[in-house]
Amino acid sequence: MLKVIMNTNYKIFNAAEYWQRETSLPSIPTFCQQVDKLLGSDGVQLGTITELLGLPGTGKTQMCLQLCASIQIPKALGGLEAEALYIDTNTNFRIHRYQEILKSCLLKCQKLLDTSEVIDEEEALKRLHYVGAFGVVEFGALMHMLPTYLRDRPKIRLVVIDSIAFPFKEGVSARERSGLLFRQMSELQRCAVERQIAVVLTNEMSTRLGLSGGSIVGSMGDAWSHRGTVRLLLSSTERGRAAVLVKSNVAGAGVASFQITKEGIRDVE
Amino acid sequence: MQKLHSKDHVLLKEKVIKLLHQNKITTILDFLQEDVEKLSTLAKLSLPQILSIRLEYFNKYSAPVINGNALFTKCIISKKFISTGLSSLDNITGGGIPVGFITELYGLAGSGKTQLLFQVAINCASNNEGTILYIDTKGDFSAVRVQKMLQAHGYSHKNMAAVLMKIKIVHIWSLDELIEFLRRIKNRTEFIENLSVILIDSLPCLMFQYLGDDCKVGLSALNVFVNYCNYLCKEMHLSIVCVNIQTRWVDQNASDLEDDIESSVSKETVRIEKRNRCLGRYWQHIPALVLLVERTKDCENGSAEINISVTKSAFGVSNLSCTLKLSELGVT
Repeated sequence: MLKVIMNTNYKIFNAAEYWQRETSLPSIPTFCQQVDKLLGSDGVQLGTITELLGLPGTGKTQMCLQLCASIQIPKALGGLEAEALYIDTNTNFRIHRYQEILKSCLLKCQKLLDTSEVIDEEEALKRLHYVGAFGVVEFGALMHMLPTYLRDRPKIRLVVIDSIAFPFKEGVSARERSGLLFRQMSELQRCAVERQIAVVLTNEMSTRLGLSGGSIVGSMGDAWSHRGTVRLLLSSTERGRAAVLVKSNVAGAGVASFQITKEGIRDVE
Repeated sequence: MQKLHSKDHVLLKEKVIKLLHQNKITTILDFLQEDVEKLSTLAKLSLPQILSIRLEYFNKYSAPVINGNALFTKCIISKKFISTGLSSLDNITGGGIPVGFITELYGLAGSGKTQLLFQVAINCASNNEGTILYIDTKGDFSAVRVQKMLQAHGYSHKNMAAVLMKIKIVHIWSLDELIEFLRRIKNRTEFIENLSVILIDSLPCLMFQYLGDDCKVGLSALNVFVNYCNYLCKEMHLSIVCVNIQTRWVDQNASDLEDDIESSVSKETVRIEKRNRCLGRYWQHIPALVLLVERTKDCENGSAEINISVTKSAFGVSNLSCTLKLSELGVT
């Protein structure tokens, strides 16, 4: 361990170089322009960790599926033409739904490119890598292996963990959970920053009575809410769906509305 | 452990050292711990001679005594604060970020600590000669955001570039790596020209990685980190700013005592929110200046008011506070 650290090369950038690097990085569009604009970086930016918060049924998983489809947008349209890794911890993933979203995403691209090239659905589906990691042991082992896995598959530019809180529901104390989470996140982020991979996490809400600023907060406590760089709260009311930017290092707080259609995440007309 | 050396004292000849070696007295510590009379027989030196060697070692290795006047002169000729460029913040802190000490910035998640740090980095870089080093432990630094803040303040492209060039960023993901990095700065194997401020955002992200371990590895690493910080602060005349966080917990049983008297009255639990400054007890005493950041008001247009209060200061009165505005422009 110590030897590894001794050989570490610390990369020191100046902010001007960093700016160039940041502005040349593409983002993954959510297919809802309002949400993209809200995030301040035209979508989910590569190299950062974005946390999606919300009650059940507010569209967290749908948003993840949409991003897994958007990552395949061809380079000709300014897309990444890359692959995604979906880490399912709460059995929310439905392949049929993904197929549906992916197909409409690709059809839209085809229309924009104005080609009659046949979409190879099978090939497109191969660009999604799915892992079902259930329970804290499986999840921990997966996170341990993840840097190697990502190194071997350089085309993966998006990692989705749906949800981050689920594996820690049982079998670990709060202190152990924090320790584990912070270690896993810093390893994941090291990868994400070096390889310019976007990381999207979903998190549930929990109730903490008597707390200032509202008793319904993201689960896993205040220390965890400090960890993420971007936090997007999704909500659903009779008046429609909305995304609230709760925390960001680039954009100010704000709200955007979106809808979930058969095709995926879209702007409200 | 340092070994005995013939250069240490005129009486400590090679021959003497060899004799001592044969009796397993090799380091200075061994020498000082050994009985003087025994040493005198072993080294074939007189008792006063042994005592004079001992005295020489004590003189050489004990901490030096400086008189008050010299200390005061040293203090007034050296620079004491780096202005944050925010006049109200400079007012409450007594001049800005103290040079030669550790400053802490703490507050709840999303209260504006990182944004304040961006602003401080910009202001320090544009008003001073020195270089700002931003140690990023959670991928929070955004040069795009910094550039937008500069643009909003009306900087020309040339000035913008000059400021950006003076802010250096390094990503560090574990406390071991941070300690090694500071060690290299100390040894000058990692050289940053004209370094004047180190901003660490944030320390808990590294420290919390040790939570849940029963052994105290994290605490001892924190101690090593603090020692390096103190050394760098003093020797290189740096200011170090660390970001810490606040967590909340709710106390439910505050009204239990009164309930005993009027037990028939409906028991409405009183919930009192308590806030906790993280990183443990040891850390609480380390920073010379502690600033609490609180988001007090959110405005319609996405901007917010943040309140900054001094909760501990080694430089004057504490309990002062000021209000700053956090907006598209940055912190003003």
